[in-house]
Amino acid sequence: MDPKLIRNFSIIAHIDHGKSTLADRLLEACGAVEKREMHAQHLDSMELERERGITIKAKAVTIWHVHEGVRYQLNLIDTPGHVDFNYEVQKSLQACEGALLLVDASQGVEAQSVANAYLAVEAGLAIVPVLNKIDLAHARPDEVTEEIESAIGIDATDALRVSAKTGQGVPDVLRAIIEKIPPPVCSPDDPLRALIVDAVYDEYRGIIVYLRMFDGTLRVGDKVEMLGSGKVFEAIELGRFLPKMQKSESLGAGEVGYFISNIKHLGDVKIGDTLALHKGAKVEMLPGYRPPQPMVFADFYPTNNGDFEKLRTALETLALTDASFTYEPVTSDALGFGFRCGFLGLLHMEIIQERLEREFDLDMIQTAPTVTYRIVKHGGESVDIHSAGQLPSPDHYEKLLEPIARVSILIPAEYIGPMMQIAADHRGEFIRQEYLSQTRVQLVYDLPLAEIIYDFYDKLKSATHGYGTLNYEVKGFHENELVKLRILVNNEEVDALSTICHKDQAEYRGRATIKKLRKEIARHLFEIPIQAAVGGRIIARETISALRKDVLAKCYGGDISRKRKLLEKQKEGKRRMRQVGNVDIPQKAFLAVLGDREGDDAK
Amino acid sequence: MSFAPRTNPVQRAPGLRPEPGTPLYVHVPFCVAKCTYCDFYSVAAEGQDLPGALDALLLEAERRAPPRPRTVFLGGGTPSFYSVDELARLLDGLDRWSHFRASAEEVTCECNPESLDFPKARALRELGVDRLSIGFQSLEQGILALFGRVHDAEQSFAAFHAAREAGFQRVSIDLIYGVPGQELARWEVDLERVLALRPDHVSAYQLTYEDGTPLAAQLQAGAFQRLDEDQELAFFEATRGRLADAGYEQYEVSNFSLNGQQCSHNVNYWSNGPYLGIGPSAVSKLASTRFGNARSITPWRAALAAGRFPAAWEETPEPSVRLGETWWLGLRTRRGVEPAEVLRTAGFEGSDPTLRLQESLLELGFLEQSAGRMRLTARGWPVADAVARRFLEACAEQTSPRLPRE
Repeated sequence: MDPKLIRNFSIIAHIDHGKSTLADRLLEACGAVEKREMHAQHLDSMELERERGITIKAKAVTIWHVHEGVRYQLNLIDTPGHVDFNYEVQKSLQACEGALLLVDASQGVEAQSVANAYLAVEAGLAIVPVLNKIDLAHARPDEVTEEIESAIGIDATDALRVSAKTGQGVPDVLRAIIEKIPPPVCSPDDPLRALIVDAVYDEYRGIIVYLRMFDGTLRVGDKVEMLGSGKVFEAIELGRFLPKMQKSESLGAGEVGYFISNIKHLGDVKIGDTLALHKGAKVEMLPGYRPPQPMVFADFYPTNNGDFEKLRTALETLALTDASFTYEPVTSDALGFGFRCGFLGLLHMEIIQERLEREFDLDMIQTAPTVTYRIVKHGGESVDIHSAGQLPSPDHYEKLLEPIARVSILIPAEYIGPMMQIAADHRGEFIRQEYLSQTRVQLVYDLPLAEIIYDFYDKLKSATHGYGTLNYEVKGFHENELVKLRILVNNEEVDALSTICHKDQAEYRGRATIKKLRKEIARHLFEIPIQAAVGGRIIARETISALRKDVLAKCYGGDISRKRKLLEKQKEGKRRMRQVGNVDIPQKAFLAVLGDREGDDAK
Repeated sequence: MSFAPRTNPVQRAPGLRPEPGTPLYVHVPFCVAKCTYCDFYSVAAEGQDLPGALDALLLEAERRAPPRPRTVFLGGGTPSFYSVDELARLLDGLDRWSHFRASAEEVTCECNPESLDFPKARALRELGVDRLSIGFQSLEQGILALFGRVHDAEQSFAAFHAAREAGFQRVSIDLIYGVPGQELARWEVDLERVLALRPDHVSAYQLTYEDGTPLAAQLQAGAFQRLDEDQELAFFEATRGRLADAGYEQYEVSNFSLNGQQCSHNVNYWSNGPYLGIGPSAVSKLASTRFGNARSITPWRAALAAGRFPAAWEETPEPSVRLGETWWLGLRTRRGVEPAEVLRTAGFEGSDPTLRLQESLLELGFLEQSAGRMRLTARGWPVADAVARRFLEACAEQTSPRLPRE
């Protein structure tokens, strides 16, 4: 295959702006998929993706398209659209020479597309702006064109105007891909070099590796080495996704396709690694991907302790294709054995959780997310901590730092007032404000990441009736007046419930927490004080009164079995209880505090 | 009531034979009318085949009654509902198959005021019964009406006097208190009137809303409001306080005895001892297996007629469950438990899983220890179930699966 006839591209779009529909139209226009076998949105193969309208894993599809009598190979490399998946986007972009920037002509530019478009521009990709949903009555293409120009700084005057839904303008998109996106720069005659773009696990065939070929040719039977890991494999099968798998004897320079070698061990494949011929000429590794540091942490505990190993295997499987996701075993007095997992952001966390539940049939308890904090010790050494429990007492460190994110918020102009209030309430520092068009404004703030994951995003969505979007990037760690909020039950600290928060928020959060606990802990034989404390100072207290009357009046020979069962039923869920200071705390109580933030607004 | 503890097949029970001396319980499943709070199995007697049921009871006694029982208890239902002739047939038959008249130290018959007069009391006395338990329940007419009782207070007193006249030294009175709308002061006055009779035994029950009873349904429907916890506690404390002042020992949560006249038959239940029950719904415990007859006359009779074993369910709790159960039952009594003896009774081997709990309850003042026995303190009695749950938990944890390896 002549590399000049190859185009590798991706589509950058905000959720719901029609990326998957456009992808379907492109496949259909080229006959890759018969209309009758189309089920809507072909690329989103995971059930979850289709339900949420977002794409999680990058995938590659090869489309054969004849343009002015010449047959081209178009490789569409899928990208996720959400802010949490910048890293995935980066992976996709590295395998492309161009990108379609797909913007909903009625909704306008959204924060995430802006962020991803920046990444593409930085990566030197050709950007082809495409306005979608042009058939809608309230489409405003001129204004949105202006938004693209002011937000991203590219010339969008000849942005394509299409409707992926009706197919209007789709041929123009194909033409633009061929004419505006450059062919891959690669050398068919140089020694083999290919980038591992992605990998999926198939129960029957082992790991299926997605490759972007750079130099040389890969043939079935070739022995190849993964330069990063040093592992050697034989190419048992090669091919392309059309979107069904189609075998091929070889993959040439510039192409995108798959590689199967009966690889069973998840750890053997590193995404971003370079593939070269085993015992061939020395080649330089291709620039891989730098997995970002996870900034949001939450613990997953299997509901059944017996599922611990199953959870471990599931996490291993997920981590195979998602290097940005980390996990390590953790034990909690409250919740048993589980894993502390690191995520790029909240959505990333939700996706992982749902995949674990659906694809691996795991029933789990998930704690509320926290961020990474950093302490600077007296000697200047800094240590990152991922939970309040790890925080030593204040005399053991000099500074306590928290991650600060630069947040870019795109909203309709009428919501500026409420939005600024929300940002102020969340300890935001105003950086700048910019009108993208007459009706849309970009606000930029520096905001503690802890605030973003606490409820900032929810507040933003509700204040702007869903029209506001945000993108954030962690800028670094800043010192702040942070304290450890301790929760005491019957005068004993419950480590799992301790949190780190700003000192001004401690009292409110402490009160909210102990109120929830009070509701969930049953009365005992004795009175139970529940307290919130900062350092040695009690800032809030609730009391659970003692049981006063609890005894069956009648118990004779005919009743014993039944009444014993009644008593046993009343203690049901004991396995899900944790004892702290003689008090049985049900798992539900931990979940009420750690799991969701509902009810926090009830001041 | 449709309660059946288990639907699992009855496997062990038919092979179990009662030791000589095993206490015998006989369930007479008939009443004039069903009381609204009652969840024992009984049916209104009108139109029922009383003689036929009696035949079946005797057939079951022939097959299953223990030789020479230490105690016999005729319960129900209302055993006194049977006529003198029928009672004679029942007790003569029981004696033929068990020889209880020669062996039993205590033979109790439950009676209701409307069906206990002097001739019947005298007949019972002559037939070998030496203890009567009379269901007064309340002296308040409104409460008797709420309960669906078919007698009044006057009949209750008359029945008691008839029993005394017939020569019964041992007469127990059943009372229920803590009824919606009941005033504590009124209850105290009624209790005084009952104690003035100087019965040798009183069973005073806090009203319980048993699932499936008309009373529970009414409560659920909001027909009345249950006393709150503090009110119930006040009734409980006043009752045991008053009975103590009158010289009655609270030897079990709801049972009070004068001069040590405890009901031995019931004491055996709280020691988690063996017993054999005959009659529909009657439960037996032999070795470690507890099993119960069908909770309806028809299938129970059909099983007996066909020569089948009449049990409809059985359970053989694990030693750890038996351990918790024995603690629970034992702590209901003033006598309390001896930890080592509980282990033996339950057949539990290995270290006592309740040690830490015992310590903590001693420390918290819910248990006290004397002469090697553990018992509930005054503080512990009103929350005996909460304490029992902790024992059941502590024992159940003994068998819970281990946590996964790290």
